[in-house]
Amino acid sequence: MDEDEAQKQRLKAAVHYTVGRLCQDIAADCEKQITKQTIAAIAETAFRQCDIFAKDLEAFARHAKRHTVTVDDVKLTARRTTALYNYIQQKSEELALNNQELKEKRKKNAAKRKSKDMEAEEENELED
Amino acid sequence: MLQPNKLNAHDVIITTSQLIITNFQVSSDAVILVAELLKVFVEEATRRAVKQADSEDCDTIDIEHFEKILPQLLLDF
Repeated sequence: MDEDEAQKQRLKAAVHYTVGRLCQDIAADCEKQITKQTIAAIAETAFRQCDIFAKDLEAFARHAKRHTVTVDDVKLTARRTTALYNYIQQKSEELALNNQELKEKRKKNAAKRKSKDMEAEEENELED
Repeated sequence: MLQPNKLNAHDVIITTSQLIITNFQVSSDAVILVAELLKVFVEEATRRAVKQADSEDCDTIDIEHFEKILPQLLLDF
């Protein structure tokens, strides 16, 4: 159990660091200062919110009788605000497009390699 | 300004995949989306706190500004 606690502390520290950087960027953008206390509060809230998200995701996946959390579960977690839902929808479509492009690239590369191997074999046969 | 955000999103992804401590597998696309969701949460929190500080004519974002926007933020997420 102590290992879990240590892991949790490390995760909290990582979240704190990232949240700190994000907040500093936005505060600099709006030309305001932000106190360390505020950053710590935002980081703690984000950590707890992630816990809530994780529990929701687990519940949704379990309800659908699956053992894998998918993109649809995440979309359901973001259902409260319309703008947020649309944003997540957009991002998921971009991800799907990227995956398709990667698959097509791999197919092309595999086809190229096959044709190169075939040509190499033909040349070897001619030389013989 | 875009490049620092890319680095931060990557950190969030690694943290998120470890934070989802359930007995379930999580698809890689879902992890990326959850990272995006958390990033939006943090950005929204900060920007609302900035607006609150603006409306009170302060140029430092104090914890009381964050406390004032917290209830609505939690209801919206």
